[in-house]
Amino acid sequence: MDWQYFLGVLQFVVQPMSIFTMVLSVFFGLIVGMLPGLTATMAVALLTGLTYKLSNEVAILSLVAVYVGAISGGCQSAILMNIPGTPASAATAVDGFPIGQRGEGGLGIFIATASSCIGTLTGTLCILLLTPPLALLALKFGAFEFFLLALFGVMICGQLTAGTDPLKGWISGILGLIVSQIGMDGMNAYPRFTFGEINLMSGIPLIPVMIGLFGFPEIIYGLVSSTARAQIKTSSLEFKKGFGIMLRNKLNIIRSSAIGVAVGIIPGVGEDVAGWLSYWAEKKSSKTPEIFGKGAYEGVVAAETGNNACIGGALIPVLSLAVPGSAPAAVLLAALWLHGLRPGPLLMSESPGFVIDISVYMAISAIAMVFLALLVSKVTVKILAVKSTILMPIVYVLCTVGAFVISNSIFDIYLVFVFGLVGLLLREMSYPAAPFLLGIILGPMADNSLRRALVLSSGDPSPFFTRPISLIFATAIILMALSQLNAFGWLRKWLVHSELKE
Amino acid sequence: MSKKLIWSIPAASVLGLVCLWPQLSMAQAPAKWPTQDISIVVPYPPGGGTDLTTRALAEEMGKALKTNVSVINQPGASGSIGTIAVWNKPHNGYTISANGLLAFASYPVRGFTEGLYKDHKDWHFWIATYSPNAIVTKGGPDAKYKTMADLLAALKAKPGEITFGTAGVGSGGYMGSEVLKMGTKLNYKHIAYQGGAPAIVGGLSGEVDIVPQLLMEMVDHIRAGKMNALAVLMDKPFKLSGAADIPAITDSVPATKPFLPMGESFGIMVPKDTPANVVQAIDAAFKIAVQSETVKKFAAEKGSIILALSGNEAQAHVAKLLSIVSWTLFDAGQAKTSPETLGIPKVK
Repeated sequence: MDWQYFLGVLQFVVQPMSIFTMVLSVFFGLIVGMLPGLTATMAVALLTGLTYKLSNEVAILSLVAVYVGAISGGCQSAILMNIPGTPASAATAVDGFPIGQRGEGGLGIFIATASSCIGTLTGTLCILLLTPPLALLALKFGAFEFFLLALFGVMICGQLTAGTDPLKGWISGILGLIVSQIGMDGMNAYPRFTFGEINLMSGIPLIPVMIGLFGFPEIIYGLVSSTARAQIKTSSLEFKKGFGIMLRNKLNIIRSSAIGVAVGIIPGVGEDVAGWLSYWAEKKSSKTPEIFGKGAYEGVVAAETGNNACIGGALIPVLSLAVPGSAPAAVLLAALWLHGLRPGPLLMSESPGFVIDISVYMAISAIAMVFLALLVSKVTVKILAVKSTILMPIVYVLCTVGAFVISNSIFDIYLVFVFGLVGLLLREMSYPAAPFLLGIILGPMADNSLRRALVLSSGDPSPFFTRPISLIFATAIILMALSQLNAFGWLRKWLVHSELKE
Repeated sequence: MSKKLIWSIPAASVLGLVCLWPQLSMAQAPAKWPTQDISIVVPYPPGGGTDLTTRALAEEMGKALKTNVSVINQPGASGSIGTIAVWNKPHNGYTISANGLLAFASYPVRGFTEGLYKDHKDWHFWIATYSPNAIVTKGGPDAKYKTMADLLAALKAKPGEITFGTAGVGSGGYMGSEVLKMGTKLNYKHIAYQGGAPAIVGGLSGEVDIVPQLLMEMVDHIRAGKMNALAVLMDKPFKLSGAADIPAITDSVPATKPFLPMGESFGIMVPKDTPANVVQAIDAAFKIAVQSETVKKFAAEKGSIILALSGNEAQAHVAKLLSIVSWTLFDAGQAKTSPETLGIPKVK
C-alpha cells in the first residue's frame, strides 16, 4: 500500500470544505433515495451537472457520497410505506414493511442503515485490495451467462415473494418479462408491440412501472381502509437491540457482502439484483425460512448489505476496465471522464493514488450516511403516525411528480396508472409485484443475451451447459423448477416403491 | 365517504397542475436568448462517444452562453428516440439534440423518423470532432491476429465465421464492418451488443474476434496493450499519442477507398425552423467551445480529430454520410425504405 497517497487523501477529506460537500451530498442522496421515483442514477446524474465547476477531488467526493446516500436512503420508504425508494430496496420491503407495521419502524431503519454502512465498507475494502483480480470476473460473463443470470434472478425473486405458491411469483415474473419486450428490439431495432405509438418505441420505462406497481396499491388501500387502520406507534431506534441483531447476523453480513460485490462487478447487473440475491441466499441458509416475509430482521440485513456492497463491486470494472457495473456507476464513469480522469487499464499507471482516493471517499461517506440516516429517520418514522387520509394524497402527488420528472413525459404518468391497476389486480389476487418489476429490469438483458448467445454459437444451445458458470446457473434453475414441481417427492416415492418391490 | 370526496378535490387539482405544468412554462417565447437553462439531449446512455464529446462541448458552450447547459441522456433505438423527443419539443433552442451523425444519417432509410421531419435539410448542424473506426482485436501474447494480413487470411479461410462485435445495426461499428466487407468482398458474422462498452468487453474477453468500433472508445485499451489495432478506416495512418501509429486500411484493402474516411463525427443540431437569433447564438458559442483547450485535450486523449464544421460545410458533411450510410444499409438489406424513393444519391 502506498501510504503517501493515503495520507494525501486523508488531509483532503478533513478540510472543512470537503466535509461540508460530503455531508451535503450524502444528505441529498438519502432524500433522493427515499423519494419513490428518484433513483440513485438520477442523483448521480443531477450532481454531475452541478459539480462541473468544482475541483476534481471535491466533485468526485460528492458524486461518490451521493451514490452511497441514494442506495442507502431507499430502505426508509420501503420499511415505512412498502414503496421502495429506488429499485435497489425492493427486496428490503419484503421484510422491512412488516417490521414497520409491527411498530418497530425505528429499529428496522437502524438495522437497514447499519447494514448499508457495513455493505459499503466491505465493497470499499474489495476495491482497495482486489481491484485487478476481481475485474477478471467481469470478463467471465458472456452472453450465455447473462441470459441464465437474468432468468435465475427472476425465478428466485418469484420464489421469494410469492408466500405459499412460488408458481404465482413465477407467473408474475413472466408477465414482467413479456411487458419488457415492448419497444424496439436490441438486435435489429424492430418495433415490437408498439402499435405505431411513438412513446412505446423506447420500451416501458422502469420507474413509472415501479411507482405504479408499489405506490398505487398502497395509496388505494391506505384510503380505503383509512378508518379501519389503527395508528401505529412511532418507535425509537432501539440501538441496543439493533446492535444485538447485527452481531447475530455476522455470517449473513459476510455472505451478503460477497454476493453484493460479485453482482456489482458483472457489467449491467446492479444493486436491485444484488439485494434479491443476498436475500435469497440468506433465506436458503436460514434455519427458520418460514419467518421470512413476515418481518425477519435477517431479510432486511441481507438485502441492505447486498445492495450497498454492490456499489464497491460496480466501481471495480469502472476503475480497471472503464466498463460500468451498474446504472449509477455508468453515470459516475462519465463524470470521472469529464473531470479528466481516465478510468480503465491505464488508471493504475497514470494516477496510482486514485483507487485509494475513491475508497476513502466511500468509507467516510458510509460513516456519514449512518449518522445522517438515523437523524433523518427521527422525522421519517413519524410518517407511520400520520393518518392515511393526510399521508396518502401527499404520497400520491410525490409518486406522480416522481414519474414525471424522469423524462419530463406525461406519458409516464399514464403508465403509472396503467401499472397501478396492474399492481392492484396482482395484489387482489395475491400475486407478488416484485418479480414483475424484476422481469422488466432483466427482460431486455435476457432477450438480447439469449439471441446474441445463439448467434455466437450458430444456433447451438449446448454452451449453456458446457461453460462452467453457465452450468452452475443452469443446474440451479433446473433444480429450482424441479423442486417446485415436486419432482423430488415423486422420485423419493418411486425409490421407496421400487425398494418395497424388491 | 364525504371525507374522501373532500380530499379528492385538492388531490385532483394538484394533479391537474402537474399535468399542465410543461405546457404553461413553454407558452411564452423569449425575445432574448438564452434566458433559461439549455439541455442537450444525448440519445445514448452516458459514457459513450456522443455523450463524452457532448459533455466536453456543453461545458464550454455553457461558459460562452453564460447559462447552464446540461446534458440529458435519453437512449433507445439507435438514438432515434432522443432525436424524436427533441423534434417534438418546442423549436426554441432550449432543447438541443446531440448525435453521432453516422447514426443520425441512418434514420430516414430505417423508417425511424417517418412523418416527423423529411431529411437532414430540416436541421442545422454543428460538427465538433471525428473519430475513425479501428479494426481491433484482443491483444497480448495469445493474440489471434497481429496484422491486417492475418485477419484477411482468416476471413478468406472461414467466410462468415469470424465474429465482429458492434453496438448494433446502424452503429458506427456496424458501418465499419460493412465497409470492410465491401472492400474485401468477404463475409463476417455480426454480433450486436447493447452499446459500445459491452462490445468492447466482448472483445477483451474473446467472446468476439474483432471489435470494429470507434478508435475513441478503445484508445486506452490499445495504449495499455490489452487490444491490438490492426487498421483505421482512413486513407492515412492515425498518429495516436502514447501508442504506435495505426496503419491505414488502404494499405491492406485499397478497395475501401471510396467509402473513407469511415467513422463517427459528433455534433449538435437544432430543427431548421428555430428562430434565427437563437441559431446565431448557438453558432457563436459552438465556435468558441470547439476551439477551447478542453475540447482540444479531449480530442487528443480520445483518438479524435477536431472538425469544427458549421453551416453549409456541416450540411455537406451530413449529406455525404447520408448517401454512404443509406446505400450501405440498403445493400445490406437493413433499410426499410429505399434511399432512391427518399431522393438520396448513391456515393461516387
